[in-house]
Amino acid sequence: MCDILAVSAGYNYTPKEYLPLFAERGRRNMNGWGVGFFRDGQALVETSLEQVYTGYQVHESFQRLARVIDSRIIVAHVRCPLSGDHHRADSHLFTISFLDHSWVFAHVGMVEGIEQYRTPNDPRLETEVYSARILEYLRDQLICRCALNPYLSLSACLRSSVQELVSDYPGHYAFFLANESVIFAFCNFRQFLFLREAESMGEVLLVTTLEEGLSPNNWFALRPVEGSQGIMVVVAGPELLHVGDV
Amino acid sequence: MCDLFAVSAATNYSAPKALPLFASRASKNMDGWGIGYFRKARAVVERSAQRVYSPGQLHDSYQRLARVVNSKIIISHVRFRTSGPVDECHAHPFILNFCGSDWLFAHNGNAPAIENYRTHAEVVAGAASDSARAFEYLRDQMVSLWQGAATPSALFDFVCQGTGRMIEEYPGDYNYLLSNGLVIFAFTNHRQFMLLKGSRKLEAALLLTTLEEGLSDENWLRMAKASSGRGLMLAIAGTDVVVVRSL
Repeated sequence: MCDILAVSAGYNYTPKEYLPLFAERGRRNMNGWGVGFFRDGQALVETSLEQVYTGYQVHESFQRLARVIDSRIIVAHVRCPLSGDHHRADSHLFTISFLDHSWVFAHVGMVEGIEQYRTPNDPRLETEVYSARILEYLRDQLICRCALNPYLSLSACLRSSVQELVSDYPGHYAFFLANESVIFAFCNFRQFLFLREAESMGEVLLVTTLEEGLSPNNWFALRPVEGSQGIMVVVAGPELLHVGDV
Repeated sequence: MCDLFAVSAATNYSAPKALPLFASRASKNMDGWGIGYFRKARAVVERSAQRVYSPGQLHDSYQRLARVVNSKIIISHVRFRTSGPVDECHAHPFILNFCGSDWLFAHNGNAPAIENYRTHAEVVAGAASDSARAFEYLRDQMVSLWQGAATPSALFDFVCQGTGRMIEEYPGDYNYLLSNGLVIFAFTNHRQFMLLKGSRKLEAALLLTTLEEGLSDENWLRMAKASSGRGLMLAIAGTDVVVVRSL
């Protein structure tokens, strides 16, 4: 199973400790990695098809990025070999611009049928990875819902978009969708682990799908309530801003 | 009636157009003004007990501050006194530190019942108004919820619960902006918030004001409590209203 990590801070943060830890803990995911972050409001992504961890060493570029990235929001993804062709060629970490924001999207899980989805909007993500279709689907829904009802909050628009997504394309979803200010995290089949840490530059909130977290600290879990379609969390800076069922 | 104005953006922003316009449109408020913002994690406030606008002329300091203040979140208040004396201490925004952050608070409304509230924690220095007591009450509620939570819980819920208790225990007209530098919580139970994003005439950040006609002839969105509700709470991060809840 792939894994994802998000780091959210009040002010620009360099994840030199937590990104390598994530790579080490996610080392069973052997099929590549990606890191997304923001610079001057623009989402940027660095990806690789190489293993994130080999021979007791975190991938050199991954380590360097961990020392250099300076962003309020950082999202990382490590890929697994379990889902065959879906994962072979491309990362599951994307950037796209819509609703006046540059967004980073990272997804883990298996969804059948969504690779058939064809977006009516531009841009269409070039990659054939099904996660790209999920992002396009969410983008299309969000644009439509925000235009239809400007009184709806962004989280309400995303919530109804996810309901539609899960209804149209049932499957296992766990994703981060982040702009330069907030992270939306949704999951319907695993748990998210959270840790709030005090750092020299202020506090950070870590969110991951890794079952054991990144450290022996007191991580706390949020998982979907039985009977719900999933759990959605909104993170702003080092704070959990909102938690709700979908 | 006092008036409120806020700018929220993803990156540091100035509001040299919108701030003066707000002051001039709110010019009937003659009992002081304040501009609050964040420098890194610290809340900073510039306040005055003087009129923000005399016929044809904006207060010199306000005008200069409008050009210079540079922050992801800027909150301004112009005062029409309904509680407490007219002096600098009673001009908003106020600052308190709690739950690990500096917080700015600016309020308009009329809630005489809460003037009797006495906190056991730090008070808003020198202020004897309903607004100061409301801020202290909210702080006390949020700290209590924060410390009582078994696991870290959602900040939005704390603010909503604290506000719900406040309007139940101390009924009144509340319209406030509360910010930790990352999010603005905007609550109203008696007026409206007018919101505009991506203005072509003013700044393109998210602009919010209590002035019912907004600050330009663009499509300002009016958000107010439902007639059957107790109030409306918004959470604003960057240029978006991220969460809305009717209390």
